[in-house]
Order: sequence, then structure tokens, then C-alpha cells
Amino acid sequence: MRLKQLRFLLILTAVLCCIPATRFYEIDLPLFRFLRGQNHVDPLSLHLSGEFVESNLGTAREADGSITVRMIAQQYLFVPHCILVPAGVPIRLRVTSADAVHSLSFSDTNYAVKVVPSNVSETRLQFPHPGEYKMPCREFCGAGHYAMRSRLVVVSRDQFPNLQPDERGNCAAR
Amino acid sequence: MRQNPIRSLATASILFLLLPLVVGATSFLLQTSAPPATRIPSNIAWTSETLARASGGDAFHGMLLARRCDHCHGAEGFSPAAATPNLAGIDRPSIWKQLEDFRTQKRISPVMQPIVASLSERDVADVAAYYSMLPNFPDPQDNRSFPQSAPQPAHVALASRLVSTGDGERGIPPCQACHGPVAYRTGAPALSTQNADYIVRQLQNFADNTRSNDINMPMRTIASLLTEEEKHALAEYYGSGLGMLPAAATAPR
Repeated sequence: MRLKQLRFLLILTAVLCCIPATRFYEIDLPLFRFLRGQNHVDPLSLHLSGEFVESNLGTAREADGSITVRMIAQQYLFVPHCILVPAGVPIRLRVTSADAVHSLSFSDTNYAVKVVPSNVSETRLQFPHPGEYKMPCREFCGAGHYAMRSRLVVVSRDQFPNLQPDERGNCAAR
Repeated sequence: MRQNPIRSLATASILFLLLPLVVGATSFLLQTSAPPATRIPSNIAWTSETLARASGGDAFHGMLLARRCDHCHGAEGFSPAAATPNLAGIDRPSIWKQLEDFRTQKRISPVMQPIVASLSERDVADVAAYYSMLPNFPDPQDNRSFPQSAPQPAHVALASRLVSTGDGERGIPPCQACHGPVAYRTGAPALSTQNADYIVRQLQNFADNTRSNDINMPMRTIASLLTEEEKHALAEYYGSGLGMLPAAATAPR
């Protein structure tokens, strides 16, 4: 009877050890992807599927009215290049990197987000007043690092476009 | 009934295992905001297998296949017409990616698509291998449009600033950080021997979304930030061969 319980415990330990192993060896199976959660992405194939395909980038309005912003940091650009958010509304910012380690910072604020490839950095932000913030990269990322800047434009809540669920907003030049 | 401590520990562990499943399922169900229809810019992701496929071509077989490209891209990889790209000396992954994108309709060209349709996946890598091996130094004997005449000095100053330092205020990275000679990014071709008319057409196409096969849209973003004058200045800069020199040599003092 003791032996049976010991065997059961051993199997259980082995199963539990598999969870850190999936992270370490980057095993790609649907179950492991599910266990890893939504904050694990493949930096090389962001454009093929998942949350960070190019049509899903930018500001999104969730069903409960909250705002989610999705961005990609890459050498040497943030995409989309200009983020549009309403003032006084909690914002969920989700950023991931396509290549190197970047760091997204906002001028005149204390916000800074470290962006690491294969991880989604999620941050909650709130901007009380309309205005414009510069978003430079603060982690040296390569030859074009010093030109890696984008903008964040905060507009008042009534000026913010009424985004449909399948619509993504930004204020890039196009 | 007295609880077996090992049994209860096991039950707790199983519940602990199931917790992420439950959390994941609820967060998935709560995420009601429907994402827009997925648009995929290019089917290629630069994994190590892809890179091996892109750079594993047979250059000799590529040479035989490339004879059908001679008419537009030149027998030595330098085009007689300035609107057609020069291919000599461009790295294998860059050529391979564009040919694959033509094949999978991700980059639209009525000229290239029927030609690439006749090539197999293996042939595409062979052609890329052949063109990457051609020398890209100037040859006055050959019938080629490169290099074009030098641009006006104002355009040289404008372009060399963008090439070497970019424009930090607008967030335009320097061209040479990805297109060389300072650094190269996978899939970004060297521009030092590229034709002016081709570059300006591609920048315009990127800006108005006619061409949209850049992964994670770096070129579409940059091209939409450039003014029309800057696009022409950059094209003239590279098309006149100034890109072969270090950018500091062409900058005004």
C-alpha cells in the first residue's frame, strides 16, 4: 500500500516538473500553449497568427468599455507609430518585441515598460489630461536605437472615436 | 472518516494543476471583443528552418534558371531599365522572400507573378543563390542604368542625413541600420547598388499600401512618414551610387 502511494507521488512530481520544463525547452503543443497562458508569444511569427497580427494592433475598445492597446516593438520602430487613447480611462497596454529587448517609456511620466521578445509586457496606465507624450525606446537595441521614438496622443473622451469591436484605432500618418 | 494526508496532498496538487486551465478558460470566454479579420503580410517567418531553406539553393542550377530573368534584370544582375531592380549581390534571404511573396500573392506584380509561378520552391532558392553570388561593382562595358547621374546637392544633404542618422523627431530610423552598410536585418536588402526609379516606386507603394509584404510593417510605417521630396532624395542618393560610400563621406560639412 505504501509502495502504491509512493508511486503515485512520484508520477505526480514528474507531471508537475513538466510545467517548468515546457517553458525551458519551448515545447509547442496546444496544451502547453494553453498552460503557458496568453503572455507567451513566438517573436518570429507575430505576423502570422495570434494577438499581434498587424490588423489587431492599435487601440481596441473591449465589450465592457475598457481600452486595450496592442503594440509591437522592433528594431527600430514601434508599431503602430502613434497611439491614440482617451483621457481619464484605464488603459491596458500590451507590448511585445519582435527581435531585441526594448524599453518603452513615456516622456513626463514615470511609466516605463520593459519589452522582451517572446513575452507580452502588460501594463495598466491612465492619463488624466489630454496631451501628447513622446515614447522613446530606453534600452539600447542596435544601430538605430536613438531614432526609435513614437508618440502617444491622449484626447478627451468625447473626441475619442467610437471604435467598433472589430475596429482598431491609431493616429499614425496613414 | 479520517483523511489520508498523501491522498489530500495529491488532490490539492491536481486542483493546483487545474487552476491555470480554469483561469485560462474564463479569461478566454470573457474576452468578447472580436478581433478584426486577420491580414497576413507575408507567409514567411524567419525561423532557422526558413533561413536554411532560403540560403540552401544551388547557384549553378540558379544560373540556368536565371536566363529567363536576363531580359529585364540584365545578364549580370544589373537592369538596363531604372524601374527594374538590380539583383546582383543582394543576399539570398531577401531575394528568396520576395520571390516567395510573389508566388503566394503577398506581393502583387503582374510581371513577376506569371514568371515565378513557373518556378518550384527549390528553384526559387536556386535563383536567389545565383544572384547573391554576382559581383556588384560598377562595369562601364555593360548595358546598365546604374549608376545614374549625381543628384542636386540639396537632395544629397537631405538623403545622407536620413541614411546616416534618420530623423529622431519624427521617429524615422536611419536606413543604414537595416539596409547596410552599418547593419543588416534579415530580409532587408542592401540598397547601395539599387536603381533610383525602383526605390522611389517601392517607397510610394509602401506608403499607400499597394505593397504590404513587410513583416510587422516597418517599411509601410517609415514610407508613410517620409515626404515626397525625401523619397525622391533617398532614391537619387542610392541610385547614383553614393550609398556605396560611407554616409559620412557624402554629408555636407
